[in-house]
Amino acid sequence: MNNRRFLFWTLTPGFAVLAILALISIAGALYFSVMDRSLRYPDYHFAGLYNYQRLLSDRRFLNALQISATWEIVTVVGSLVVATLLSVLIFETVKSFWIRNLICFAFLAPVLLPRVAAAFIWRFLYSPSLGLINYLVGLTGLGPVEFLADPSLALMSVAIVDIWQWGLFFTVIMLKLLETLPRDPIEAAQLDNARTWEIHAFVTLPMLKAPIISLALVKAVESLRSFDLIYVMTGGGPGTATETLDLYAYQAGINLGGRISYASAMSILLLVLTTIVFTLIWRGIRKWSV
Amino acid sequence: MANIRCVNIRKSYGGHSVIENLNLDIADHEFVVFLGPSGCGKSTMLRMIAGLEDITGGTVSIGDRDVTHLHPGERGVAMVFQSYALYPHMTVEENIAFGLRRQKVPQAEIARRVQHVAGLLGLESFLQRKPKNLSGGQQQRVAMARAMIKTPKLFLFDEPLSNLDAKLRERLRTEIRKMHLDLKTTTIFVTHDQLEAMTIADRIVLMRAGAIEQQGTPSEIFDRPATRFVADFIGSPAMNFRGCVVSRDGGSVSLVAGSIRLEVPASEFDGLQHGAKVEVGLRPSKMDLAAEGDLNAISGKIILVENMGSEAQVIVDVDGQEMSFVTKAFRTLEPGQPVSFSIEPASIHVFSKETGRSLRKAG
Repeated sequence: MNNRRFLFWTLTPGFAVLAILALISIAGALYFSVMDRSLRYPDYHFAGLYNYQRLLSDRRFLNALQISATWEIVTVVGSLVVATLLSVLIFETVKSFWIRNLICFAFLAPVLLPRVAAAFIWRFLYSPSLGLINYLVGLTGLGPVEFLADPSLALMSVAIVDIWQWGLFFTVIMLKLLETLPRDPIEAAQLDNARTWEIHAFVTLPMLKAPIISLALVKAVESLRSFDLIYVMTGGGPGTATETLDLYAYQAGINLGGRISYASAMSILLLVLTTIVFTLIWRGIRKWSV
Repeated sequence: MANIRCVNIRKSYGGHSVIENLNLDIADHEFVVFLGPSGCGKSTMLRMIAGLEDITGGTVSIGDRDVTHLHPGERGVAMVFQSYALYPHMTVEENIAFGLRRQKVPQAEIARRVQHVAGLLGLESFLQRKPKNLSGGQQQRVAMARAMIKTPKLFLFDEPLSNLDAKLRERLRTEIRKMHLDLKTTTIFVTHDQLEAMTIADRIVLMRAGAIEQQGTPSEIFDRPATRFVADFIGSPAMNFRGCVVSRDGGSVSLVAGSIRLEVPASEFDGLQHGAKVEVGLRPSKMDLAAEGDLNAISGKIILVENMGSEAQVIVDVDGQEMSFVTKAFRTLEPGQPVSFSIEPASIHVFSKETGRSLRKAG
């Protein structure tokens, strides 16, 4: 068998399964998005772009769009900032091999927790009456803070849980990346009279630019799928303060009213939007990192 | 003014001691080479002077200022690494200017000095390139420019030429030497290549197992090795060693091993009692084919003639052991032939069997 045939026959089954799974669900969603299917009635009819039109004037949808964008930015930037600061701090202060490994082990634990478990743990921590955090806040003399029930705090409180899981995991990765860097440029920078923060800002972190960009992309994709965390912690509330697009789509299509066509249109818009945004970001990064 | 003074330097990793009580003075403007086999502590010594390695005990001063506990950047030293250690994400210009930028030197001043050193090292046309687009030799020039631009009190070179091919190594060696003649900055250069050390140094500090074995000018080290180790380490082809017995006959002293009988002037050596066992060292380059009636001729059978161009190393079987000498008149020599070669008495080295020290009288 020649090489081309071999490639064809080994790749085709995998691609076929992927294509079928992706295309059928997308085709199904597309089909429903131009109908007026609702679980309330057995029959449905062609509705054209009616669902899309309604979406663009749906304030709850626009709110969800904004929440999703905020969520992406806060969790991606937050995870990377936490990872950068912590990994540099550990790299500079903890010299013992054993203690470093111990810290890494501890930092890996949160991300190994199932999302739902993490969400429950933090719900208890945040609880105004039972929670440890509110106990500590109480010691400072401030009253109980409604972390998850206060619309201005809820999204950030959930984001902190996400950053707690992923920021610490990325800390371990970045610490290992720092350890693999050659010592010589760092020493050359020391001789060039660079202070510790300057060495990291100007030498080590720029040397790690490519892997850090990869981490950011992985996290951006991962943050799109935070349904379970948000659902368990706040269910999208209070009100719609933490309702991201996937949560709203779920609420509209399955939980409330079963407006399947409306939710399908929302999913299709979400798909188009993320594809465009990620393509633009990817292009920008490629240009910038050359 | 930047003389270096190292007093009672000690270095240990955990309980394992690498350098014990090392004392060293380097005068202002001097070009000193730390030479030695790998693991002898020469790079560790250099890195301690640079401040990249903690000093377990003792003090280092540069220009009469105690720098033992100073940060590397505050010692006024510049270093060129074996791996070049360029900042891979910066252009050549940014690499060279990095140190000055950290010192907050004005932008115009930086630009002027970058142009100047780039001109000296022939880097003008590469300033906007990244290191990965340069050859090894060009990268090392950038590393040198980065060191030079800081006008340091002390230059440190840690095996800077080891990653380059032979021809480039020679050229950069000459450039480094020229640079030193121009700038007159005190320089320490670490290498394990004895030829490099001989050609470049004002003074060689030959190290072995964390201690200084001998220091002196290249000629002193070559012509008057203090120990058998130094004699063996310096010189290519390597010195021939033979265990001999001293035979005193009236005023003359002979060193005898099998068919070899070498006469040496007794007054120049210590401890050549009759019957004493010593080790004799003969440099191949100091020997040549013997003429009729030559003193100190050694005879044997040719095993191999290694043509080195203008001369050849001839390997000879003498009483079942190999010896070698260098001659220009090698074209007629063939393996299997008998051959006779001889050495000047002044070039014979005699070492104690016990201590390995040279028995030649000082002075």
